[in-house]
Amino acid sequence: MMLKATIDADILKESIDAISALVTECRLHTDETGISTRAVDTANVAMISFHLKKEAFESFSSTKSELGLDIAKIKNIFGMMGKENLLALELPDEGHKLKVSFEGYQYSITLLDPNTIRKDPNIPNINLPGKVVLSGSELNNAIKAAAVVSDKIALGIDPATQTFYMVAEGDTDHIRREFGKTEVNFINGAEARSLFSLDYLKDMGKVMSRAEEVELSLGIDHPANFSFYLAGGNGHVEYLLAPRIEAD
Amino acid sequence: MGVALRDILNDYKTAVGWDSLGGIAALDAHNALYQFLSIIRQPDGTPLMDREGRVTSHLSGILFRTVNFIEKGIKPVYVFDGPPPAFKQETIEHRRSQRKEAGERWQEALERGDTEEAYKQARASSRIDDYVIESSRTLLGLMGIPCIDAPSEGEAQAAHMVITGDARYMVSQDYDTLLFGAPLLVRNLTVSGRRKIHGRTVTLNPEKIILEEVTRGLKISREDLVKVAILVGTDFNSGVKGIGAKTALKIIQKQEFESIAMEKMPDTDYQSIMDFFLNPPVHSDYSLKWDTPDQDGILEMLCETHDFSEERVKKALEGLGVTTGQKTLDAWF
Repeated sequence: MMLKATIDADILKESIDAISALVTECRLHTDETGISTRAVDTANVAMISFHLKKEAFESFSSTKSELGLDIAKIKNIFGMMGKENLLALELPDEGHKLKVSFEGYQYSITLLDPNTIRKDPNIPNINLPGKVVLSGSELNNAIKAAAVVSDKIALGIDPATQTFYMVAEGDTDHIRREFGKTEVNFINGAEARSLFSLDYLKDMGKVMSRAEEVELSLGIDHPANFSFYLAGGNGHVEYLLAPRIEAD
Repeated sequence: MGVALRDILNDYKTAVGWDSLGGIAALDAHNALYQFLSIIRQPDGTPLMDREGRVTSHLSGILFRTVNFIEKGIKPVYVFDGPPPAFKQETIEHRRSQRKEAGERWQEALERGDTEEAYKQARASSRIDDYVIESSRTLLGLMGIPCIDAPSEGEAQAAHMVITGDARYMVSQDYDTLLFGAPLLVRNLTVSGRRKIHGRTVTLNPEKIILEEVTRGLKISREDLVKVAILVGTDFNSGVKGIGAKTALKIIQKQEFESIAMEKMPDTDYQSIMDFFLNPPVHSDYSLKWDTPDQDGILEMLCETHDFSEERVKKALEGLGVTTGQKTLDAWF
Protein backbone atom coordinates (compact mmCIF):
# COMPACT_ATOMS: atom_id res chain seq x y z
CA MET A 1 0.00 0.00 0.00
CA MET A 2 1.43 3.33 -1.08
CA LEU A 3 -0.72 5.34 1.29
CA LYS A 4 -3.22 4.37 3.97
CA ALA A 5 -4.50 6.96 6.37
CA THR A 6 -7.45 8.24 8.33
CA ILE A 7 -7.87 11.91 9.05
CA ASP A 8 -10.34 14.32 10.55
CA ALA A 9 -12.39 15.71 7.65
CA ASP A 10 -12.00 19.26 8.88
CA ILE A 11 -8.19 19.06 8.84
CA LEU A 12 -8.17 17.69 5.32
CA LYS A 13 -10.58 20.35 4.17
CA GLU A 14 -8.47 23.09 5.74
CA SER A 15 -5.38 21.68 4.03
CA ILE A 16 -7.06 21.55 0.63
CA ASP A 17 -8.36 25.09 1.06
CA ALA A 18 -4.83 26.27 1.82
CA ILE A 19 -3.52 24.72 -1.41
CA SER A 20 -6.49 25.59 -3.60
CA ALA A 21 -6.11 29.27 -2.73
CA LEU A 22 -3.22 29.29 -5.20
CA VAL A 23 -3.26 26.29 -7.52
CA THR A 24 -5.73 23.96 -9.21
CA GLU A 25 -3.38 20.99 -9.26
CA CYS A 26 -0.22 19.96 -7.46
CA ARG A 27 2.35 17.25 -6.92
CA LEU A 28 1.83 15.81 -3.47
CA HIS A 29 4.80 14.12 -1.84
CA THR A 30 4.22 11.46 0.74
CA ASP A 31 6.66 9.62 2.95
CA GLU A 32 6.65 8.04 6.39
CA THR A 33 6.70 11.48 8.09
CA GLY A 34 3.62 12.93 6.37
CA ILE A 35 2.58 14.74 3.21
CA SER A 36 3.86 17.90 1.57
CA THR A 37 3.66 19.99 -1.56
CA ARG A 38 5.30 23.07 -2.98
CA ALA A 39 3.65 24.78 -5.91
CA VAL A 40 3.60 28.08 -7.75
CA ASP A 41 0.43 29.55 -9.20
CA THR A 42 0.06 29.67 -12.96
CA ALA A 43 1.18 33.28 -13.24
CA ASN A 44 4.29 32.69 -11.08
CA VAL A 45 3.17 35.32 -8.63
CA ALA A 46 2.61 33.25 -5.51
CA MET A 47 4.00 30.07 -4.03
CA ILE A 48 2.71 27.72 -1.36
CA SER A 49 4.86 25.38 0.72
CA PHE A 50 2.68 23.01 2.66
CA HIS A 51 3.50 20.24 5.09
CA LEU A 52 1.16 18.05 7.11
CA LYS A 53 2.89 15.85 9.68
CA LYS A 54 1.70 12.32 10.25
CA GLU A 55 0.65 13.44 13.74
CA ALA A 56 -2.15 15.41 12.07
CA PHE A 57 -3.67 12.09 11.03
CA GLU A 58 -5.55 9.62 13.20
CA SER A 59 -3.53 6.90 11.54
CA PHE A 60 -0.93 7.16 8.81
CA SER A 61 1.34 4.88 6.88
CA SER A 62 2.96 5.71 3.59
CA THR A 63 5.91 4.91 1.42
CA LYS A 64 7.85 7.62 -0.36
CA SER A 65 5.88 8.58 -3.43
CA GLU A 66 4.54 11.39 -5.54
CA LEU A 67 0.88 11.85 -6.48
CA GLY A 68 -0.71 14.23 -8.95
CA LEU A 69 -3.75 15.88 -7.39
CA ASP A 70 -6.48 17.76 -9.19
CA ILE A 71 -7.04 20.10 -6.26
CA ALA A 72 -10.00 21.90 -7.82
CA LYS A 73 -11.83 18.61 -8.33
CA ILE A 74 -11.03 17.35 -4.85
CA LYS A 75 -12.19 20.59 -3.32
CA ASN A 76 -15.55 20.15 -5.04
CA ILE A 77 -15.86 16.55 -3.96
CA PHE A 78 -15.07 17.34 -0.34
CA GLY A 79 -17.30 20.39 -0.35
CA MET A 80 -20.15 18.24 0.92
CA MET A 81 -18.23 16.68 3.79
CA GLY A 82 -19.50 17.28 7.26
CA LYS A 83 -17.04 18.38 9.93
CA GLU A 84 -15.59 16.16 12.61
CA ASN A 85 -16.06 12.98 10.72
CA LEU A 86 -13.23 10.66 10.03
CA LEU A 87 -12.23 10.07 6.49
CA ALA A 88 -10.17 7.15 5.20
CA LEU A 89 -7.66 7.44 2.36
CA GLU A 90 -6.17 4.51 0.53
CA LEU A 91 -3.86 4.26 -2.44
CA PRO A 92 -2.57 0.86 -3.58
CA ASP A 93 0.98 0.49 -4.90
CA GLU A 94 1.24 1.62 -8.52
CA GLY A 95 -2.32 2.86 -8.17
CA HIS A 96 -3.80 5.69 -10.20
CA LYS A 97 -6.98 5.95 -8.16
CA LEU A 98 -7.23 7.26 -4.63
CA LYS A 99 -9.93 5.58 -2.58
CA VAL A 100 -11.65 7.87 -0.13
CA SER A 101 -14.41 6.81 2.23
CA PHE A 102 -16.42 9.01 4.53
CA GLU A 103 -19.97 9.06 5.87
CA GLY A 104 -20.77 5.88 4.02
CA TYR A 105 -19.62 7.24 0.65
CA GLN A 106 -16.91 5.43 -1.27
CA TYR A 107 -15.03 7.61 -3.70
CA SER A 108 -12.50 6.54 -6.25
CA ILE A 109 -10.63 9.60 -7.45
CA THR A 110 -8.43 9.37 -10.54
CA LEU A 111 -5.05 10.92 -9.92
CA LEU A 112 -3.14 13.01 -12.43
CA ASP A 113 0.13 11.87 -13.90
CA PRO A 114 2.63 13.88 -11.79
CA ASN A 115 4.77 14.33 -14.90
CA THR A 116 2.07 16.49 -16.41
CA ILE A 117 2.14 18.87 -13.45
CA ARG A 118 4.74 21.59 -13.09
CA LYS A 119 7.66 20.33 -11.14
CA ASP A 120 8.28 21.72 -7.69
CA PRO A 121 9.80 25.17 -7.71
CA ASN A 122 13.11 25.69 -5.97
CA ILE A 123 13.12 27.43 -2.65
CA PRO A 124 13.77 31.06 -3.48
CA ASN A 125 16.62 32.86 -1.86
CA ILE A 126 15.14 35.95 -0.24
CA ASN A 127 16.19 38.08 2.67
CA LEU A 128 13.17 39.69 4.30
CA PRO A 129 14.33 41.72 7.32
CA GLY A 130 10.98 42.97 8.64
CA LYS A 131 9.14 40.36 10.70
CA VAL A 132 5.90 40.70 12.62
CA VAL A 133 3.45 38.25 14.13
CA LEU A 134 -0.25 39.07 14.15
CA SER A 135 -3.61 37.36 14.37
CA GLY A 136 -4.83 35.69 11.21
CA SER A 137 -8.34 37.04 11.56
CA GLU A 138 -7.06 40.63 12.07
CA LEU A 139 -4.96 40.24 8.95
CA ASN A 140 -7.88 38.90 6.96
CA ASN A 141 -10.17 41.69 8.16
CA ALA A 142 -7.69 44.34 7.03
CA ILE A 143 -7.38 42.61 3.64
CA LYS A 144 -11.16 42.54 3.25
CA ALA A 145 -11.44 46.21 4.23
CA ALA A 146 -8.77 47.18 1.69
CA ALA A 147 -10.47 45.18 -1.07
CA VAL A 148 -13.52 47.40 -0.78
CA VAL A 149 -11.63 50.46 -2.02
CA SER A 150 -8.77 49.08 -4.13
CA ASP A 151 -7.24 46.10 -5.88
CA LYS A 152 -3.86 46.53 -4.22
CA ILE A 153 -2.49 47.05 -0.75
CA ALA A 154 0.82 48.25 0.66
CA LEU A 155 2.20 46.39 3.66
CA GLY A 156 4.98 48.07 5.61
CA ILE A 157 6.86 48.55 8.84
CA ASP A 158 7.83 51.95 10.19
CA PRO A 159 10.84 51.37 12.47
CA ALA A 160 10.68 54.88 13.99
CA THR A 161 7.20 54.43 15.43
CA GLN A 162 7.41 50.62 15.62
CA THR A 163 4.18 50.22 13.70
CA PHE A 164 3.09 47.74 11.11
CA TYR A 165 0.74 49.34 8.57
CA MET A 166 -1.51 48.43 5.66
CA VAL A 167 -2.51 51.09 3.16
CA ALA A 168 -4.98 50.73 0.29
CA GLU A 169 -5.30 53.53 -2.19
CA GLY A 170 -8.38 53.52 -4.41
CA ASP A 171 -9.27 55.94 -7.18
CA THR A 172 -11.27 58.02 -4.74
CA ASP A 173 -10.88 56.39 -1.34
CA HIS A 174 -8.10 55.50 1.02
CA ILE A 175 -7.78 53.09 3.90
CA ARG A 176 -4.98 52.91 6.45
CA ARG A 177 -4.76 50.48 9.33
CA GLU A 178 -1.92 50.70 11.79
CA PHE A 179 -0.96 48.02 14.24
CA GLY A 180 1.06 49.11 17.26
CA LYS A 181 3.11 47.08 19.69
CA THR A 182 0.05 46.02 21.65
CA GLU A 183 -1.51 44.36 18.60
CA VAL A 184 1.52 43.03 16.83
CA ASN A 185 4.55 41.20 18.08
CA PHE A 186 7.62 42.66 16.37
CA ILE A 187 10.32 40.10 15.84
CA ASN A 188 12.33 42.53 13.77
CA GLY A 189 11.01 46.01 13.15
CA ALA A 190 13.28 46.79 10.20
CA GLU A 191 11.98 49.21 7.60
CA ALA A 192 9.84 47.53 4.96
CA ARG A 193 7.26 48.45 2.37
CA SER A 194 5.91 46.55 -0.63
CA LEU A 195 2.72 46.64 -2.66
CA PHE A 196 0.61 43.53 -3.24
CA SER A 197 -2.33 42.41 -5.32
CA LEU A 198 -5.50 41.97 -3.31
CA ASP A 199 -6.73 39.38 -5.81
CA TYR A 200 -4.19 37.02 -4.32
CA LEU A 201 -4.37 38.24 -0.74
CA LYS A 202 -8.15 37.82 -0.54
CA ASP A 203 -7.90 34.08 -1.22
CA MET A 204 -4.90 33.67 1.05
CA GLY A 205 -6.55 35.80 3.75
CA LYS A 206 -9.54 33.46 3.99
CA VAL A 207 -7.20 30.59 4.78
CA MET A 208 -5.08 32.64 7.18
CA SER A 209 -8.14 33.89 9.06
CA ARG A 210 -8.30 30.50 10.78
CA ALA A 211 -4.75 30.76 12.10
CA GLU A 212 -4.25 32.17 15.56
CA GLU A 213 -0.93 33.68 14.55
CA VAL A 214 0.62 34.53 11.21
CA GLU A 215 4.28 35.40 10.92
CA LEU A 216 4.68 37.96 8.17
CA SER A 217 8.09 38.76 6.69
CA LEU A 218 8.56 41.83 4.52
CA GLY A 219 11.23 43.76 2.66
CA ILE A 220 11.33 46.84 0.47
CA ASP A 221 9.74 46.04 -2.91
CA HIS A 222 10.21 42.39 -2.10
CA PRO A 223 7.85 39.43 -1.82
CA ALA A 224 5.92 38.89 1.41
CA ASN A 225 6.13 35.61 3.26
CA PHE A 226 3.19 34.47 5.39
CA SER A 227 3.94 31.55 7.67
CA PHE A 228 1.32 29.87 9.88
CA TYR A 229 0.23 26.59 11.40
CA LEU A 230 -2.95 24.61 11.06
CA ALA A 231 -4.24 21.29 12.39
CA GLY A 232 -3.22 22.17 15.96
CA GLY A 233 0.38 22.82 14.98
CA ASN A 234 0.80 19.65 12.93
CA GLY A 235 0.34 21.38 9.59
CA HIS A 236 2.48 24.25 8.32
CA VAL A 237 1.79 26.62 5.45
CA GLU A 238 4.00 29.26 3.90
CA TYR A 239 2.71 31.62 1.26
CA LEU A 240 5.16 33.68 -0.73
CA LEU A 241 3.65 36.51 -2.76
CA ALA A 242 5.53 38.62 -5.34
CA PRO A 243 5.05 42.39 -5.08
CA ARG A 244 3.63 44.78 -7.58
CA ILE A 245 5.63 47.69 -8.83
CA GLU A 246 4.71 50.89 -7.01
CA ALA A 247 3.59 53.53 -9.48
CA ASP A 248 5.20 56.93 -9.00
CA MET B 1 4.99 18.77 -41.40
CA GLY B 2 4.29 15.91 -39.14
CA VAL B 3 3.38 12.32 -39.42
CA ALA B 4 -0.07 10.91 -40.13
CA LEU B 5 -0.72 9.13 -36.85
CA ARG B 6 -4.09 10.70 -36.21
CA ASP B 7 -6.05 7.51 -36.87
CA ILE B 8 -4.48 5.72 -33.94
CA LEU B 9 -4.21 8.72 -31.63
CA ASN B 10 -7.77 9.98 -31.76
CA ASP B 11 -8.82 7.88 -28.78
CA TYR B 12 -6.09 9.39 -26.64
CA LYS B 13 -6.97 13.03 -27.18
CA THR B 14 -8.71 14.60 -24.26
CA ALA B 15 -10.19 18.06 -24.14
CA VAL B 16 -8.32 20.38 -21.85
CA GLY B 17 -9.50 23.75 -20.55
CA TRP B 18 -7.34 26.84 -20.88
CA ASP B 19 -7.58 27.24 -17.11
CA SER B 20 -5.55 24.15 -16.44
CA LEU B 21 -2.75 24.96 -18.89
CA GLY B 22 -0.79 27.36 -16.71
CA GLY B 23 2.96 26.91 -16.48
CA ILE B 24 5.85 26.76 -18.87
CA ALA B 25 4.97 25.67 -22.40
CA ALA B 26 7.63 24.77 -24.95
CA LEU B 27 6.51 25.83 -28.42
CA ASP B 28 7.76 24.31 -31.60
CA ALA B 29 8.55 27.68 -33.18
CA HIS B 30 8.48 26.53 -36.79
CA ASN B 31 5.15 24.84 -36.33
CA ALA B 32 3.70 28.00 -34.77
CA LEU B 33 5.17 30.30 -37.42
CA TYR B 34 3.94 28.06 -40.20
CA GLN B 35 0.47 28.16 -38.69
CA PHE B 36 0.52 31.95 -38.49
CA LEU B 37 1.76 32.31 -42.05
CA SER B 38 -0.74 29.88 -43.47
CA ILE B 39 -3.81 30.98 -41.52
CA ILE B 40 -3.45 34.72 -41.05
CA ARG B 41 -4.38 35.75 -44.58
CA GLN B 42 -6.97 37.78 -46.39
CA PRO B 43 -9.77 35.94 -48.22
CA ASP B 44 -7.86 35.85 -51.52
CA GLY B 45 -4.81 34.40 -49.81
CA THR B 46 -2.75 37.59 -49.53
CA PRO B 47 -0.88 37.56 -46.23
CA LEU B 48 -0.84 40.58 -43.95
CA MET B 49 1.80 43.00 -45.20
CA ASP B 50 3.20 46.36 -44.26
CA ARG B 51 3.35 49.20 -46.75
CA GLU B 52 6.69 48.00 -48.08
CA GLY B 53 5.25 44.61 -48.91
CA ARG B 54 6.91 42.70 -46.06
CA VAL B 55 4.79 39.86 -44.66
CA THR B 56 3.58 40.52 -41.11
CA SER B 57 1.16 37.62 -40.55
CA HIS B 58 3.63 35.90 -38.24
CA LEU B 59 4.22 39.03 -36.16
CA SER B 60 0.50 39.43 -35.65
CA GLY B 61 0.25 35.77 -34.67
CA ILE B 62 3.12 35.97 -32.20
CA LEU B 63 1.79 39.11 -30.54
CA PHE B 64 -1.78 37.97 -30.04
CA ARG B 65 -1.05 34.36 -29.21
CA THR B 66 1.60 35.33 -26.67
CA VAL B 67 -0.72 37.83 -25.03
CA ASN B 68 -3.42 35.19 -24.88
CA PHE B 69 -0.97 32.75 -23.30
CA ILE B 70 0.25 35.22 -20.68
CA GLU B 71 -3.33 36.13 -19.78
CA LYS B 72 -4.03 32.45 -19.20
CA GLY B 73 -0.94 32.03 -17.02
CA ILE B 74 1.02 30.19 -19.69
CA LYS B 75 4.70 31.08 -20.00
CA PRO B 76 5.79 30.29 -23.55
CA VAL B 77 9.31 29.50 -24.67
CA TYR B 78 9.89 29.31 -28.42
CA VAL B 79 12.23 26.58 -29.63
CA PHE B 80 13.75 27.18 -33.06
CA ASP B 81 15.11 24.57 -35.43
CA GLY B 82 18.83 24.20 -35.94
CA PRO B 83 20.35 22.62 -39.04
CA PRO B 84 18.24 19.67 -40.25
CA PRO B 85 19.69 16.16 -40.18
CA ALA B 86 21.16 15.04 -43.51
CA PHE B 87 18.40 12.55 -44.20
CA LYS B 88 15.77 15.32 -44.13
CA GLN B 89 17.18 16.80 -47.34
CA GLU B 90 14.81 14.93 -49.61
CA THR B 91 11.75 16.11 -47.66
CA ILE B 92 13.04 19.67 -47.68
CA GLU B 93 13.53 19.68 -51.44
CA HIS B 94 10.13 18.08 -51.97
CA ARG B 95 8.44 20.77 -49.85
CA ARG B 96 10.33 23.52 -51.62
CA SER B 97 9.02 22.39 -55.00
CA GLN B 98 5.50 21.96 -53.57
CA ARG B 99 5.58 25.52 -52.27
CA LYS B 100 6.85 26.83 -55.57
CA GLU B 101 4.07 25.07 -57.46
CA ALA B 102 1.48 26.31 -54.98
CA GLY B 103 2.80 29.84 -55.47
CA GLU B 104 2.32 29.55 -59.22
CA ARG B 105 -1.18 28.08 -58.87
CA TRP B 106 -2.09 30.86 -56.45
CA GLN B 107 -1.23 33.48 -59.07
CA GLU B 108 -3.19 31.56 -61.72
CA ALA B 109 -6.21 31.31 -59.45
CA LEU B 110 -6.01 35.03 -58.69
CA GLU B 111 -5.96 35.80 -62.42
CA ARG B 112 -9.02 33.58 -62.93
CA GLY B 113 -10.74 35.25 -59.96
CA ASP B 114 -11.08 31.93 -58.12
CA THR B 115 -10.75 33.23 -54.56
CA GLU B 116 -11.27 29.94 -52.79
CA GLU B 117 -8.58 28.18 -54.79
CA ALA B 118 -6.30 31.22 -54.41
CA TYR B 119 -6.63 31.05 -50.62
CA LYS B 120 -5.90 27.36 -50.59
CA GLN B 121 -2.84 27.64 -52.81
CA ALA B 122 -1.60 30.71 -50.98
CA ARG B 123 -1.63 28.78 -47.71
CA ALA B 124 0.31 25.96 -49.25
CA SER B 125 2.92 28.42 -50.50
CA SER B 126 3.69 29.67 -46.97
CA ARG B 127 7.40 29.83 -46.46
CA ILE B 128 9.52 30.39 -43.37
CA ASP B 129 12.55 32.33 -44.57
CA ASP B 130 15.34 34.16 -42.77
CA TYR B 131 13.30 37.36 -42.61
CA VAL B 132 10.40 35.55 -40.89
CA ILE B 133 12.72 33.93 -38.36
CA GLU B 134 14.75 37.02 -37.61
CA SER B 135 11.73 39.31 -37.26
CA SER B 136 10.02 36.72 -35.05
CA ARG B 137 13.04 36.52 -32.77
CA THR B 138 13.25 40.28 -32.55
CA LEU B 139 9.60 40.60 -31.55
CA LEU B 140 9.81 37.75 -29.02
CA GLY B 141 12.92 39.37 -27.56
CA LEU B 142 11.10 42.69 -27.15
CA MET B 143 8.19 40.88 -25.52
CA GLY B 144 10.58 39.28 -23.02
CA ILE B 145 9.85 35.75 -24.24
CA PRO B 146 12.79 33.33 -24.26
CA CYS B 147 13.92 31.77 -27.57
CA ILE B 148 16.01 28.63 -27.62
CA ASP B 149 18.02 27.30 -30.53
CA ALA B 150 17.84 23.58 -31.01
CA PRO B 151 21.02 21.85 -32.17
CA SER B 152 18.82 20.11 -34.76
CA GLU B 153 15.02 19.66 -34.78
CA GLY B 154 13.14 22.13 -32.57
CA GLU B 155 10.54 19.53 -31.72
CA ALA B 156 13.18 17.25 -30.27
CA GLN B 157 14.62 20.02 -28.13
CA ALA B 158 11.18 21.06 -26.90
CA ALA B 159 10.32 17.45 -26.09
CA HIS B 160 13.58 17.19 -24.14
CA MET B 161 12.60 20.22 -22.08
CA VAL B 162 9.32 18.58 -21.13
CA ILE B 163 11.10 15.32 -20.29
CA THR B 164 13.50 17.11 -17.94
CA GLY B 165 10.60 19.00 -16.36
CA ASP B 166 11.82 22.46 -17.38
CA ALA B 167 8.62 22.85 -19.36
CA ARG B 168 5.26 21.41 -18.42
CA TYR B 169 4.10 20.49 -21.89
CA MET B 170 4.77 20.98 -25.54
CA VAL B 171 2.68 22.98 -27.95
CA SER B 172 2.59 21.79 -31.54
CA GLN B 173 0.07 20.55 -34.05
CA ASP B 174 2.43 17.77 -35.09
CA TYR B 175 2.43 14.30 -33.62
CA ASP B 176 6.18 13.96 -34.23
CA THR B 177 6.70 15.45 -30.80
CA LEU B 178 5.42 12.21 -29.28
CA LEU B 179 8.01 10.28 -31.26
CA PHE B 180 10.66 12.52 -29.73
CA GLY B 181 9.30 11.48 -26.34
CA ALA B 182 7.33 14.53 -25.20
CA PRO B 183 5.32 13.22 -22.22
CA LEU B 184 2.56 15.77 -22.77
CA LEU B 185 1.53 17.40 -26.04
CA VAL B 186 -1.11 20.12 -26.24
CA ARG B 187 -2.70 20.99 -29.57
CA ASN B 188 -5.07 23.65 -30.88
CA LEU B 189 -3.93 26.52 -28.68
CA THR B 190 -5.12 29.17 -31.10
CA VAL B 191 -6.51 32.52 -30.06
CA SER B 192 -9.76 32.33 -31.98
CA GLY B 193 -10.40 28.63 -31.52
CA ARG B 194 -11.29 28.49 -35.21
CA ARG B 195 -9.46 26.95 -38.04
CA LYS B 196 -10.11 26.36 -41.69
CA ILE B 197 -10.01 22.71 -42.64
CA HIS B 198 -10.75 21.79 -46.22
CA GLY B 199 -12.32 25.18 -46.81
CA ARG B 200 -14.70 24.95 -43.87
CA THR B 201 -14.27 26.84 -40.65
CA VAL B 202 -14.43 24.57 -37.63
CA THR B 203 -14.11 25.31 -33.95
CA LEU B 204 -11.14 23.71 -32.32
CA ASN B 205 -10.72 23.29 -28.61
CA PRO B 206 -7.43 22.66 -26.87
CA GLU B 207 -6.68 18.98 -26.49
CA LYS B 208 -3.91 17.07 -24.82
CA ILE B 209 -2.20 13.80 -25.58
CA ILE B 210 -0.25 12.04 -22.86
CA LEU B 211 2.43 9.79 -24.35
CA GLU B 212 2.18 7.25 -21.54
CA GLU B 213 -1.55 6.83 -22.15
CA VAL B 214 -0.90 6.25 -25.85
CA THR B 215 1.77 3.60 -25.31
CA ARG B 216 -0.19 1.93 -22.51
CA GLY B 217 -3.41 1.99 -24.50
CA LEU B 218 -1.91 0.71 -27.74
CA LYS B 219 0.25 -1.74 -25.78
CA ILE B 220 3.38 -0.65 -27.59
CA SER B 221 6.58 1.11 -26.58
CA ARG B 222 7.68 4.53 -27.78
CA GLU B 223 10.16 2.72 -29.99
CA ASP B 224 7.25 0.84 -31.55
CA LEU B 225 5.40 4.10 -32.08
CA VAL B 226 8.42 5.37 -33.99
CA LYS B 227 8.32 2.22 -36.11
CA VAL B 228 4.65 2.84 -36.87
CA ALA B 229 5.57 6.35 -37.96
CA ILE B 230 8.40 5.12 -40.16
CA LEU B 231 6.01 2.81 -42.02
CA VAL B 232 3.49 5.63 -42.44
CA GLY B 233 6.13 8.17 -43.39
CA THR B 234 7.93 10.83 -41.35
CA ASP B 235 9.80 14.04 -42.08
CA PHE B 236 12.75 11.81 -42.85
CA ASN B 237 11.30 9.05 -45.04
CA SER B 238 8.32 8.66 -47.31
CA GLY B 239 6.96 5.47 -45.76
CA VAL B 240 5.25 2.60 -47.49
CA LYS B 241 2.55 3.40 -49.98
CA GLY B 242 -0.81 2.00 -48.90
CA ILE B 243 0.14 1.62 -45.25
CA GLY B 244 -1.69 3.96 -42.91
CA ALA B 245 -1.40 4.27 -39.17
CA LYS B 246 -3.87 1.48 -38.36
CA THR B 247 -2.24 -1.03 -40.68
CA ALA B 248 1.20 -0.04 -39.45
CA LEU B 249 0.09 -0.55 -35.86
CA LYS B 250 -1.08 -4.07 -36.66
CA ILE B 251 2.24 -4.81 -38.33
CA ILE B 252 4.11 -3.65 -35.23
CA GLN B 253 1.84 -5.57 -32.88
CA LYS B 254 2.46 -8.70 -34.95
CA GLN B 255 6.20 -7.90 -34.80
CA GLU B 256 6.54 -7.84 -38.54
CA PHE B 257 8.25 -4.46 -38.78
CA GLU B 258 11.68 -5.70 -39.84
CA SER B 259 10.41 -7.98 -42.58
CA ILE B 260 7.98 -5.41 -44.03
CA ALA B 261 10.61 -2.67 -43.82
CA MET B 262 13.17 -4.82 -45.65
CA GLU B 263 10.68 -5.79 -48.30
CA LYS B 264 8.84 -2.50 -48.92
CA MET B 265 11.46 0.14 -48.19
CA PRO B 266 14.83 -1.49 -48.79
CA ASP B 267 16.53 1.85 -49.44
CA THR B 268 15.46 3.43 -46.20
CA ASP B 269 18.03 3.48 -43.43
CA TYR B 270 15.34 3.10 -40.79
CA GLN B 271 17.82 2.43 -38.01
CA SER B 272 19.28 5.95 -38.35
CA ILE B 273 15.81 7.44 -38.38
CA MET B 274 14.85 5.48 -35.27
CA ASP B 275 18.03 6.57 -33.52
CA PHE B 276 17.27 10.15 -34.42
CA PHE B 277 13.76 10.02 -32.92
CA LEU B 278 14.85 8.12 -29.82
CA ASN B 279 18.12 9.96 -29.13
CA PRO B 280 17.98 13.26 -30.99
CA PRO B 281 20.66 15.89 -30.52
CA VAL B 282 19.49 18.30 -27.81
CA HIS B 283 21.01 21.00 -25.61
CA SER B 284 20.76 20.99 -21.86
CA ASP B 285 22.56 24.26 -21.21
CA TYR B 286 19.85 26.81 -21.91
CA SER B 287 18.43 29.42 -19.63
CA LEU B 288 14.76 30.28 -19.35
CA LYS B 289 14.09 33.84 -18.37
CA TRP B 290 11.03 35.94 -18.99
CA ASP B 291 11.75 39.65 -19.04
CA THR B 292 9.45 42.61 -18.69
CA PRO B 293 8.18 43.50 -22.17
CA ASP B 294 9.74 46.55 -23.80
CA GLN B 295 6.58 48.48 -24.56
CA ASP B 296 8.25 51.27 -26.54
CA GLY B 297 10.32 48.79 -28.52
CA ILE B 298 7.28 46.71 -29.44
CA LEU B 299 5.31 49.80 -30.51
CA GLU B 300 8.24 51.02 -32.60
CA MET B 301 8.72 47.69 -34.35
CA LEU B 302 5.08 46.87 -34.98
CA CYS B 303 3.51 50.29 -35.49
CA GLU B 304 6.32 52.38 -36.98
CA THR B 305 8.20 49.76 -38.98
CA HIS B 306 5.39 47.35 -39.85
CA ASP B 307 2.27 49.56 -39.90
CA PHE B 308 0.23 47.79 -37.19
CA SER B 309 -2.62 49.73 -35.65
CA GLU B 310 -1.27 51.46 -32.55
CA GLU B 311 -4.59 51.06 -30.78
CA ARG B 312 -4.65 47.28 -31.26
CA VAL B 313 -1.04 46.83 -30.20
CA LYS B 314 -1.51 48.98 -27.09
CA LYS B 315 -4.56 47.00 -26.13
CA ALA B 316 -2.63 43.76 -26.57
CA LEU B 317 0.20 45.10 -24.41
CA GLU B 318 -2.24 45.67 -21.57
CA GLY B 319 -2.80 41.93 -21.63
CA LEU B 320 0.92 41.37 -21.24
CA GLY B 321 0.70 42.98 -17.84
CA VAL B 322 2.94 45.85 -18.87
CA THR B 323 0.53 48.21 -17.20
CA THR B 324 -0.52 46.18 -14.18
CA GLY B 325 2.91 46.17 -12.61
CA GLN B 326 2.57 42.72 -11.05
CA LYS B 327 5.99 41.15 -10.60
CA THR B 328 6.53 37.42 -10.68
CA LEU B 329 8.57 35.34 -8.26
CA ASP B 330 11.07 34.57 -11.05
CA ALA B 331 13.31 37.39 -9.94
CA TRP B 332 13.88 35.65 -6.60
CA PHE B 333 14.37 32.06 -7.67
